[in-house]
Amino acid sequence: MITVYKKGTVPKTMELITINDIYFNQTTVLLLDNRAADIIGRIDGSVMTGQFTILSRFDGMALNIDKLSTGCKTALNILYNPHKVFDIRECGDNALDLIYALPEGNIYCDYPLISFDMNAVYVSDKKSVREIGSYEELKEWWQDED
Amino acid sequence: MKIEPVVCTEIKTQHTSFVVDFQLKNNITFIAGDSGTGKSAVYSFLQELAVENKSIKCYNYLDIKKSYKNAIKLAKGKLFIIDNADILLDDAMRSYISMDGQNQYIIIGRNPTGLLLAQDDILELASETLDGRTRFTLVGTLPAV
Repeated sequence: MITVYKKGTVPKTMELITINDIYFNQTTVLLLDNRAADIIGRIDGSVMTGQFTILSRFDGMALNIDKLSTGCKTALNILYNPHKVFDIRECGDNALDLIYALPEGNIYCDYPLISFDMNAVYVSDKKSVREIGSYEELKEWWQDED
Repeated sequence: MKIEPVVCTEIKTQHTSFVVDFQLKNNITFIAGDSGTGKSAVYSFLQELAVENKSIKCYNYLDIKKSYKNAIKLAKGKLFIIDNADILLDDAMRSYISMDGQNQYIIIGRNPTGLLLAQDDILELASETLDGRTRFTLVGTLPAV
């Protein structure tokens, strides 16, 4: 289950990554294993053919893996770096759906950005970490500035 | 706020087997939609077009440390194409852009807040591949009635 952070709640001991493209291109790409292919297929419709190569969804051409979408890179960043927090504000709805279903990981956004398919998440605020199981409750938590 | 396009009403370019064919009806064209639909690929094709067309200026996450905000505020008669807008455009820049009648914008992102756009100003990328060529166009996000 993923953990959600909002403004002012990311612990000082955890690094918040805002530019997901750069972090993926420089760091996460070296961590990829066979779990990545499924995510790349489901979000970008591309086929992973090697650690650094994919086949384009549009014309089947071989591309460097840096051509993945920002949303796909964000999902992979979250999956492969469970001790860092990643800003999800650039993710499309398809990437959000997958991110909210990840087994673990940490996400951040200034404002509510929630998958309609969400089940349960942990939320972290200044007081504690707790579980939330509904879209409406999560939205309310996100909008609460206390 | 609706303003007629001040620089161009269409933009077309070709990059190998990819064709971009955009009709621009508003001064701000906001492109949203699912991840992986080709938004950043189209940005790169338009960036190539900008090399020979001095009225087009392109910014993305690689420019986050550069003075793109001042460049926009000092410009006149330019078409700004901004990818990763959720990162690059803060509230103040969104407010400025929404009132800028001297320049035109194509903005790629998720969140159009602060740009004073109506729902029918928010578009998505459509693509079709025929005979090995992929053509990108813009379509509305509202369901047809």
